[in-house]
Amino acid sequence: MKIARIKAIAKKEIFHVVRDPFTLALALLLPVMMVTIFGLAIEFNVQNIKIAVYDGDQTQSSRKLIDTLASSGYFLIDSFPTQFAAIHQVDAESDRAALMIEPEFEHHLWSDRGARAQLVLDGADNSTVGSVVGYFTAMQDLATHKILGSPITTPVEVKTRFLFNPELNSRWFVVPGLLVVVVGILSILLTSLTVAREYENGSMELLLSTPVEPIEIILGKLAPYVGLGLSAVVFVYIIARVFFHVPFLGSHFTLILGCVLFLSTYLAQGLLISVTTRKQQVAMQIAMMSGLLPSILLSGFIFAIESMPLFFRGLTAALPARWFMVICRDTFLKGSSLYALRYSFLALLLICTVMVVIASKKFKRDVEP
Amino acid sequence: MQPTLNAAVSVTELGVDFGNFKAVNQVSFSVAPGEIFGFLGANGAGKTTTIRVLCGLLIPTRGTVTVAGIPYLSEESADRIKEKVGYMSQKFTLYNDLTVAENLNFTASLRKLERTYYLKRKKELFDFITFDKPESTMVKDLPGGMKQQVSLAASMLHNPEIIFLDEPTAGVTSAAREKFWSLIKSLAKNGKTIFVTSHYMDEVEQCDRIALMRSGELIALDSPKGLKESTFPHPLYELTPKRKIPYSEIEALRSPDYFDSFQAYGLRFHASPRTAQSWNEFLMRYSEDFDSQIIQPTLEDVFIRLVEGQNR
Amino acid sequence: MRLNATLLGFVKKEFAQALRDPKMRMLLFVAPVMQMTLFGVAISSDVKNVRLTYHPRPNDTVLQHVYERALSSGWFVPAQVTTTDPFEQIKNGEADAVLVPPPEGLTQSIGQGEGSGQLQLLINASNVLRAQSTESYIKSIMAEVLKTDLHLLPTSSAIQFEMRILYNPTSRTAIFMVPGVMSMLICLITILLTSMSISREKETGTFEMLVSAPTKPWELILGKTLPYIILGMSNVPLILGVAVFAFGIPMKGSLLVLFFSAFIFVCTTVAIGTLISILTRTQQQSMMGGFLFLFPAIQLSGLTFPLENMPPLMKAVAYLNPLTYFLEMLRNIMLKGGDWKVIGSHLFVLLLMGTALTVTSFKLFKTNLS
Repeated sequence: MKIARIKAIAKKEIFHVVRDPFTLALALLLPVMMVTIFGLAIEFNVQNIKIAVYDGDQTQSSRKLIDTLASSGYFLIDSFPTQFAAIHQVDAESDRAALMIEPEFEHHLWSDRGARAQLVLDGADNSTVGSVVGYFTAMQDLATHKILGSPITTPVEVKTRFLFNPELNSRWFVVPGLLVVVVGILSILLTSLTVAREYENGSMELLLSTPVEPIEIILGKLAPYVGLGLSAVVFVYIIARVFFHVPFLGSHFTLILGCVLFLSTYLAQGLLISVTTRKQQVAMQIAMMSGLLPSILLSGFIFAIESMPLFFRGLTAALPARWFMVICRDTFLKGSSLYALRYSFLALLLICTVMVVIASKKFKRDVEP
Repeated sequence: MQPTLNAAVSVTELGVDFGNFKAVNQVSFSVAPGEIFGFLGANGAGKTTTIRVLCGLLIPTRGTVTVAGIPYLSEESADRIKEKVGYMSQKFTLYNDLTVAENLNFTASLRKLERTYYLKRKKELFDFITFDKPESTMVKDLPGGMKQQVSLAASMLHNPEIIFLDEPTAGVTSAAREKFWSLIKSLAKNGKTIFVTSHYMDEVEQCDRIALMRSGELIALDSPKGLKESTFPHPLYELTPKRKIPYSEIEALRSPDYFDSFQAYGLRFHASPRTAQSWNEFLMRYSEDFDSQIIQPTLEDVFIRLVEGQNR
Repeated sequence: MRLNATLLGFVKKEFAQALRDPKMRMLLFVAPVMQMTLFGVAISSDVKNVRLTYHPRPNDTVLQHVYERALSSGWFVPAQVTTTDPFEQIKNGEADAVLVPPPEGLTQSIGQGEGSGQLQLLINASNVLRAQSTESYIKSIMAEVLKTDLHLLPTSSAIQFEMRILYNPTSRTAIFMVPGVMSMLICLITILLTSMSISREKETGTFEMLVSAPTKPWELILGKTLPYIILGMSNVPLILGVAVFAFGIPMKGSLLVLFFSAFIFVCTTVAIGTLISILTRTQQQSMMGGFLFLFPAIQLSGLTFPLENMPPLMKAVAYLNPLTYFLEMLRNIMLKGGDWKVIGSHLFVLLLMGTALTVTSFKLFKTNLS
């Protein structure tokens, strides 16, 4: 193995990337786009929930109830003259929920039988049902207190302390996870395509017929993408720190070590894909399905792994993205040490070793003469 | 040059611009039916651009072009030209992941050939190229030469009058090249007009006439013999150094004192003296250093003299 | 009307290319079913299996009660109970949440009189969504204990909201997630197939052969898209089958309406893929272009995040996204039986997008090489 030859091939590949401004622009644009969408567009704290209200009682009590809801800051109130109209608002997805205050509301309230109001929610198109139900439950006692003037009795006050993210800032949760997604996308997609392209154009045979060793070709071709992947890491890191003020409590060494392991795993996986498929279209699809979707949907990035059924939780253990996600979040927010993250690192190391061994075996058997 | 009425291809002052770049400029020629017309030039000289215009793939910026009697004026006339010409491009124009039969079926459907006509043509062309493999062979499993012949057959399914071959023999064995050229010659004998570009000088030698392009312009147009005679009016010598000659001395010889042209060929040199007198002067001074012998100029000498020599 | 020979030729050719490779067949017909199953099960915004523990104090029966109730709720699983620093327990990842009573114990503190009861709840908030849900779960469990077990609060407040969740009474996440996954997969498959379709011909040089024949631009564009519309549509019954039979998602609306909507959607995404393919020269570029579309399309469709919380600009982008419309249509047809106003207006928007994209493709597509 000669470093000079690897360098030469790497240079050629860099030249490819730089000379093709389209690919370069996209490679740089992707991280920017992801950070914008995830950093700015996503807000888990639901506010201004539009609710349709039908007030069948039209008394001081029912108006007070509506006032209480309106002044809570969670709801935007639309009033409707009939029950049907209010429910239709929900059905047509114009409002999130419909509140129906029955005609005898005030009467029941004072007669000690308990006043009821019906809340209709749309379960078909509603990722916020849980939050809405939660807010209304909290409103029950507050409204009772406001209307009847009775004191709020709290025999036990639950004081919650949110560790590592005291204000429940959505960005602190999402942005460190972006590292995983960005690195995953750049590494697996680009590597699986670059080598497959050489096969498709027939230039792989050409390269292999030269005295250059196959391993040199691969290292040379992958080197620029390692650079691209690592610069994406730096980019997201800076955005996270400067723009979104995400704290970084851990050591940079731990994060970089995790990055390198993760990157190597995905590069090996990308190589395996391209050696096996040798066709860009197939390579891209397999990369998309084996690397990309899992790293967004099954890594715990948004959808928590702990909530999945046991079998699927076991399945995610084989995904490098899942372990790197833990490493990223914990080094950023918890400041976890390498020792505290030992299981994640061991798992990542194991997956990485297995992937590199399989990829190089496959490569040796199929490519080397 | 006036466009000849019965010419297969006639081009007058053709110009093609890509933005500010003049890819082809002031090119005029005409080709007779049944002629094998060669196109020579370095990469980027404008050969492929010219061929693409003639195939109706590129609208000319300037000049008049008439192909198979159809003046090339618009997209609409391009379609009529496409009916009359066949085009085989640098890369093989076959799908590697389809079988031979599937490839030809697809080509036939692209050109909306009638089924009986297509089957008849296919059989004729397979006989012509002596294709003896099963039609269900995947194209990627064909040897290079065979692929190229099937590619030729595909470009001729609609029985075009003129066939454009853009570096058809790049990357195939010399035996396959030989067979390919015999096919081309028999096509021309049957009245087809052949347009061919190639890097192989020995191949181009077999053309009836050759056009030489440099930086988008036509710099020479003649038969191979005529080209050699007009380029080298004086005898051409091959000089073999008897000792190691320093670079500075070689550079001195390149100056026009002795020679019109002085080109390195490996360790030897091909040189064409300016006059009989300058040759004698050279011999007097350098007979100790060089062995010399008269040789017949090849097209390669012509090409180097005209295309590379003037770039110096 | 006789079928255009060129189009038929294209369908045969593209099918042969796509279906001969066993890997492609797997990707086309097996992978969507697998993904449908995988993502249908795994993607859920439910919060479950929160590892809960408490800091033990002697004779703290109320705390024990709260803990047991929490475990039996199904949201929590037990973590080891130790007397170590609860903060460390969370930091080391041994627990996600810890109940910390005051030094004298929760039982004693309640006994000291009105408003004296104190319970600290420590939650690992590195996942914001889980932290929020954990807090509200514990609060409702605490309230339950106070009402039914200790009778310290009236069992029902004077005002009661009765919740009725339409179309999904048991609030199953799969009911609204699965139609989302369906629309995502259909979008994914069609974009992946088409974004490279023309650029591959350009890269391998066969494009020159295509344009050297006297074909019309519409024949070429339709020839390169029609096969993929067919392939994309062939996935719809597969995916629908998994949704209905494996996940028990209701199919209340008409199949015909669903297939027609899917057809319009597939045409739109195929048009997007084709446009990407026309704009790019190499397959790598197309892949990047396809991804540049897919990524925001999936994220800004309402599948993973509620659209209404987004800033106005992002919301505007979300409503330029065909996936947003198809997802809403699919949920409407399957779960609600299909409201013709919603279906009609959404179809209209998709048709508008499809037409605009097709017109743009025609404008940009050239049958020559200039």
